[in-house]
Amino acid sequence: MVRKGEDRLFQTVTMLILALVGLVSVVPLLYVFSVSLTPFAEVLRHGGYVLIPKEITFHAYKKLFESSGIPRALGVTVYITVVGTMINLLLTTLVAYPLSRKKLPGRNIFLMMVVLTILFSGGIIPTYLIVKATGLIDSLWALILPGAVNSFNVLIIKSFFEQLPEELFESARIDGAREFRILFTLVIPLSVPAMITVGLFYAVGHWNSFFSAIMYMTDRSLYPLQVVVREILMLSQQQVENVEEQVPTVTMQMAAVIFASLPILVVYPFLQKHFTKGMLLGSIKG
Amino acid sequence: MNRSKWVPLSLTAALVTGSLLAGCSSGSGSTSGGDAAAKPGESASASPSAAPSAPVKIQMAMAASGLPSPENDDIKKTIDKKLNTDLQLTAIASGEDYKNQIRVRISGGNFPDLFSVELADVKEFSDKGLLLDLTPYIDKDLKTAKDFVLSEQKEIIKKATINNKLYAIPRIGDVPFSTMWIRQDWLDKLNLKMPTTLDEMMAVAKAFTEQDPDGNGKKDTYGLTGAKIGAFASVFGGFGAGGPGTFYEKDGKVMNGYYDPAMPDALKFIKSMIDAGVVDPEIMTNKANIEVQKAFQGKAGMIFRGWTDMAKDEFVAQYKAINPNANWVQISPPLKGPGGAYDGAYDYDRPSRYWVIPKALEKDKAKLQKVFDLINYVSSAEGNRLVMYGLEGKHYNLKDGKVIPTDLMAKEGNYFNLYQITGRPNKEYLEIKFPNQAAATDVAIKAPRIKAFDSSVLPPTGYNKADADRFAEEELIKFVTGKRPLSEYPDFLKTFETTFQYKTFVEAGEKQIRDQGFVK
Amino acid sequence: MSSNSWSAEPAVQPGAGIKKKQTFWKTIWSHKEFYLMLLPGVIYYIIYKYAPMYGMVIAFKDYDMSEGILGSPWADPWFKYFQQFYESPYFSQLLTNTILISVYKLAFGMLPPILLAILLNECRVRWFKSLVQTLSYMPHFLSWIIIYGILLMFFSQDSGIINRWIIDAGGKAIPFLSSTEWFRTMLVGSEIWQNLGWGAIIYLAAIAGIDPTLYEAARVDGASRMQMIWHITLPGIRSVIILLLILRLGHMMDAGFEQIYVLYNVYVYPVADILDTWVFRTGLEQWNYSLASAVGLFKSLIGLVLVLLSNAMAKRWGDSGIW
Repeated sequence: MVRKGEDRLFQTVTMLILALVGLVSVVPLLYVFSVSLTPFAEVLRHGGYVLIPKEITFHAYKKLFESSGIPRALGVTVYITVVGTMINLLLTTLVAYPLSRKKLPGRNIFLMMVVLTILFSGGIIPTYLIVKATGLIDSLWALILPGAVNSFNVLIIKSFFEQLPEELFESARIDGAREFRILFTLVIPLSVPAMITVGLFYAVGHWNSFFSAIMYMTDRSLYPLQVVVREILMLSQQQVENVEEQVPTVTMQMAAVIFASLPILVVYPFLQKHFTKGMLLGSIKG
Repeated sequence: MNRSKWVPLSLTAALVTGSLLAGCSSGSGSTSGGDAAAKPGESASASPSAAPSAPVKIQMAMAASGLPSPENDDIKKTIDKKLNTDLQLTAIASGEDYKNQIRVRISGGNFPDLFSVELADVKEFSDKGLLLDLTPYIDKDLKTAKDFVLSEQKEIIKKATINNKLYAIPRIGDVPFSTMWIRQDWLDKLNLKMPTTLDEMMAVAKAFTEQDPDGNGKKDTYGLTGAKIGAFASVFGGFGAGGPGTFYEKDGKVMNGYYDPAMPDALKFIKSMIDAGVVDPEIMTNKANIEVQKAFQGKAGMIFRGWTDMAKDEFVAQYKAINPNANWVQISPPLKGPGGAYDGAYDYDRPSRYWVIPKALEKDKAKLQKVFDLINYVSSAEGNRLVMYGLEGKHYNLKDGKVIPTDLMAKEGNYFNLYQITGRPNKEYLEIKFPNQAAATDVAIKAPRIKAFDSSVLPPTGYNKADADRFAEEELIKFVTGKRPLSEYPDFLKTFETTFQYKTFVEAGEKQIRDQGFVK
Repeated sequence: MSSNSWSAEPAVQPGAGIKKKQTFWKTIWSHKEFYLMLLPGVIYYIIYKYAPMYGMVIAFKDYDMSEGILGSPWADPWFKYFQQFYESPYFSQLLTNTILISVYKLAFGMLPPILLAILLNECRVRWFKSLVQTLSYMPHFLSWIIIYGILLMFFSQDSGIINRWIIDAGGKAIPFLSSTEWFRTMLVGSEIWQNLGWGAIIYLAAIAGIDPTLYEAARVDGASRMQMIWHITLPGIRSVIILLLILRLGHMMDAGFEQIYVLYNVYVYPVADILDTWVFRTGLEQWNYSLASAVGLFKSLIGLVLVLLSNAMAKRWGDSGIW
């Protein structure tokens, strides 16, 4: 009986804190969203801030689409995100699985190889030279291959693989399974939350990337979405240098932000159910 | 246990690095290969050695925005047809990103054929032998372009010359846009006269702050807004000073703004404004154009700003939408002070861009000729009209030889200026493009300003401009906000000269300005 | 690092007997599948990560674009660029700010995502959990330019909502964004806000990996929610927490360039100017690749030391660490 009351109190406090977190997160987003839908003059009249639009217009979105090849840029972004993330996940798991086997001879050499790249990098010029030497300049692969494996993500996946009980592997090996089969039929299915997490990290990384595009592309038609969005944001930050320059209004900036993040935002709720798949492990063990 | 693993690691690292040293030296060293070798994957049709009918591919790069995709780019298409080229313009919105990209491309031997850089870069790149010396070409192959820029600005070639050699084609400089703006409707409401002197301006600023010009019953307005110390340009001008760090002529000698004897007086005046509470308290932290928004919202009645931010149709519509009575007008002539009446300082001879050609292009005569053709074409009467106004019949119509813009010009024409490699005759151009702003444009052009020479000055090696700028900005703000007494101004200069080596910069600047013959 | 530690690797021990060597190769061969798996990754690392690393030498050279990295002349003295950075009048301030801001962010920012993940896991109302999880993840997608606008809305001295409340309550407006007392708080606070939900994702994944039978057993034993959190959830995500902590320490010298660059202003330079903003401003004037590399190398070396130390400590306390 005592436990029950205590539990209820605990639930209430949890809900309250979570509600607060939700509120603190949503107000600024509401602002971005509302501004993007409000006529610009209305925004200015309210000192630049609108939380609930009284009058709704899609003018900012319309202008956004009129300019700057947004649809094509969106296509580029979706392509590099989908293809890139698949390559990332494959290569990352292939690296992480052997490294999670503590008895692998030379494991620490490989691990150090991975960790050092988190700390040290050659810099933009030698990286550019390598990208050029591998023939990727002005190719979308330049946005995928140079970041094909992220060391941080390798370590995360490895750490999750290490959590899997050793008996699992032993029984599989006794059954005569090869390591590739163990990885793809046992380890990966048991690590869905980790794979989803790292996949999300990679996907968001691709989605938000713009620097590689600016460095490696001279062809405008290969620019991803974030380059275009950044252009809109940068322009509104700088003083007008050319008389002709059209400074994007704050409503257009917000429309660009919403448009550029909405697709990746709506992916997340669909991934969330995979975070509660912990019971899988229990069922196999039992 | 763990640390022992370092041995093999460092060995592997050494091996990997060692083998790569050999591998990469050829890649990074072969800058002379230039563009032709840079892109193995490109289609062969672009190579200049192909059939004469094949268009020559020219890569241009600059920091700019608003470029449409190639299939919607009428200017590119027209030029391509005319010159038999395939013009590829890479425009990057952020100046910093562009700077990075261009360095990295050059390091990789992947030069654009024609690109825009800052004067300091012209010097650095030419010192390294990366740029084509245009001195032998300027009088013959580039004569059209030369005559064109000189027709507008007779000193401009000199401005692009370093050590008696011309490494860059200058683009005709911009005309000044900025003046002090004031809310005429506020003046009318409070029965005030248009201020003509700094003291009157101070009185008006006080009235704007204290007498509720917007009539909302709240004391929520200020006299002046702006961003950083530049907001006070007309104060410096009124005291006859060019503003912090600017180089200009005073009494027949080169003067640097920090050393102007009028500087402490100007700072004192600014301090009196801040002390009186008539200045936007966030004036030193405003950025990202927030100050213009504040002005439009009616938070302040004066701002020093370009007509490009205040008078263009869309901006007038914006502030009228907030308050239909709002009426921003220019203060003209500039406010008078003890040292004259100037709307700040302006570097009239500054080229608005410096275009350079890589040295490597020397080997590809056909392509080099095409680049020259391009530069000359946009400088010729026909080509210049194209890059100013677009296509006849589409973006403009001719009536008795006069250009009449169509609606499409306002809609599509905002990127044409990217192709104005050598610039345009500003007055005529602005009148046609911005007919509603002709008066404001004219006021800004004619406003008296202190003539600055900043574009002649390159910082000497070993002088860290970033540190010096930070120090000066911090200290000036301490002076005007009263955190440091103005009596310590000489001490500030002393630290500035010794710790931050400002003296070396000033001396280098004076010498460069004298060498170019602007001041005896 | 003591000298005897340089010779203890069995794999390269030259004095080992032939038999030992044979078993060694046998062990290697028995793991061939693992090496095959590693092969694509290793090739990737060599080409795109290790090949460019020769570029680090530029910290000791005067970079000359026409000569390339290897052809550029050696700096004279070799530590010229380290010296240039050390001799800046602001050196000690930059270093202090970098470390302090980073330590604050670590100290105050590490825990909130863990707590959020635990609370989300405890929440039994499905839709509510999902809603909060999604909402808290969103700020990660706002760039600092946008967040700056949002911060102004709340904290601007002149028109911020908070200051309007303060004034209405009879107080005096606080310049949150332009006072040396408040600025670091704003930095840390806005960073925590931006990363709260994003940072929680990885812990949620870790919690999902905990064997649910453990909770059932505890429930049977009559454990309270708090006890289960303390004895099951936290130990279950401990290795992830430690891994992230070690990696975060490796980036100790990255105090958040973009955030600070967008948010700072002249009044707060003394508490906000960090190594990266200084390098950026210096580079804006004179693109100094060697200087940027020197500072980068300096930061990396400090990160390396911290990673090695913290990893060793993690192992001493009985954890597996990174390796």
